[in-house]
Amino acid sequence: MASDAGITSKIRVESLNKSFNVDGRRELVLDDIQLTVGEGEFVSIIGPSGCGKSTLLNIVAGLDSPDSGTVTFEGSPGVSALGRVGYMQQKDLLLPWRTVLDNAILGLELHGMPRRQARTRALELTEFFGLKGYESQYPYALSGGMKQRAAFLRTMLMDQEIVLLDEPFGALDALTRVQMQEWLLQLWDSLRKTIVLITHDMDEAILLSDRVYVLTHRPGRVTMVLDVDLPRPRSYEQVTEPSFARLKSRLLEPLREQKPKEAQGLAGKEGL
Amino acid sequence: MKDPTGEYASGHRGQGRIGSTLSKLRSWAAPVTILLGIVVLWELGVQVWDIPKWQLPSPSEIGQELASSRSLLLEHMLVTLEEIVLGFIAALASGLVLATAIAYSRILERSVYPIVIASQTVPIIAIAPLLLIWVGYGIAPKVIVVALICFYPIAVNTVDGLKAVDPDMVNMMKTLGASRWQVFTKLQMPTAMPYMFSGIKVGISVSVIAAVIGEWVGASAGLGYLITYSQPLFLTARVFAAIVVLSAMGISLFVLASVVERMMLPWYYTEKRANSIERM
Repeated sequence: MASDAGITSKIRVESLNKSFNVDGRRELVLDDIQLTVGEGEFVSIIGPSGCGKSTLLNIVAGLDSPDSGTVTFEGSPGVSALGRVGYMQQKDLLLPWRTVLDNAILGLELHGMPRRQARTRALELTEFFGLKGYESQYPYALSGGMKQRAAFLRTMLMDQEIVLLDEPFGALDALTRVQMQEWLLQLWDSLRKTIVLITHDMDEAILLSDRVYVLTHRPGRVTMVLDVDLPRPRSYEQVTEPSFARLKSRLLEPLREQKPKEAQGLAGKEGL
Repeated sequence: MKDPTGEYASGHRGQGRIGSTLSKLRSWAAPVTILLGIVVLWELGVQVWDIPKWQLPSPSEIGQELASSRSLLLEHMLVTLEEIVLGFIAALASGLVLATAIAYSRILERSVYPIVIASQTVPIIAIAPLLLIWVGYGIAPKVIVVALICFYPIAVNTVDGLKAVDPDMVNMMKTLGASRWQVFTKLQMPTAMPYMFSGIKVGISVSVIAAVIGEWVGASAGLGYLITYSQPLFLTARVFAAIVVLSAMGISLFVLASVVERMMLPWYYTEKRANSIERM
């Protein structure tokens, strides 16, 4: 894709295919996926539910393997991403028997860092993650946004250069979601990680990303790659600007085109 | 088996400390009143109808018996307690080992687990006399009976707990670089803890009954033996005194298990309390 030129690619997905057994039939879920993420880039993948977005991210994270095709990290193919790539899901997946602080240091602990040292490191970051004063609370005492930030802290403490986010704000209410999006913008600005975000929120995709990949409904196929050339640093106010609206309408095209096919299954349940 | 989220939820109605103490008292008040009522009726009934002591001693006579033969009761209680403790430890150790093996091996789950479950239909009371033939009249057959009876709830609950792990949690651990062993120690074991304690509490409640069964079949000491020894002599008050001590033992062991559970799983109870307040 045009924008890749000159940037060293951090992740390269080539001709990736994946199918699952559904009711005894083999069903293609991901069809010939090509995807490139450069160093320090923020890339979003958007598509309707069931298009295989999460499967794609699981494969990139090393939790699943493709039927064919390759995933390459920093130019070395065939290396498992497990433990080398940060991965965060929609569910916060905090361990209920650990305090916020001890949840945050889980990854460091698994890699053999002494608890005391790991805690000191986590404590330096709790303020930025909005968790100051809640370090010794158990997860049940936290709000949805705080739990998600605690999960973020756990992911970020691993200090991996690549971070995969699977609808991290999907379970939050609209207001909290906007706050978290602005917060993530700040986080990315200061840390400059390579981020791949899965979402089905178009505003979120445009606001956060350098590039948006649009996937079709099953089988998931890349139907559009949209470069987002909005100036940075960005803020949520930009959502109402004409340039933002133009990008959104371009993004809407391929998503709208899929509607008729999808609608067969939904039997006219919704009109766009 | 019992779902570990089901118990105790109603005990935490109050909001503040005083509120929760009051509600705790209120929850104790009803059963205690009923129990006291039964004791009073019993006492009155025995006196009104003039029932002989060998037939049915009154609660006050049982109280006197408890006081007068306390050293005898203590001596036999220690024997029974030893059987229970040894049997329980054996059940706990073997139950946890087998549960781990079953949770990890599909072959064992398909082959051994059904046998474990089916074994519950074998009446232990019928096996107890055979144990005498095989291992003699000492403490061993009682310990084995206790272990056999406690083993089942501990093993089955722990298997359930080890399998109750959220697969997404496992994936999360893997992406953080966890080894299989780390997934087990840092995720599966803590997840299984509340389940295991449910099994322990069920097991420890029936362990007293198990020890008495073991002693009835053939023994020379223990509270169960004291009962079988006193009954033909029409020392009915002593039989009742032994029963009172046995019940007290059972209740104390259960309370002990609950206290240990609360100390080991502080997160579990605070989380449940928070949920039950939210639900109101």
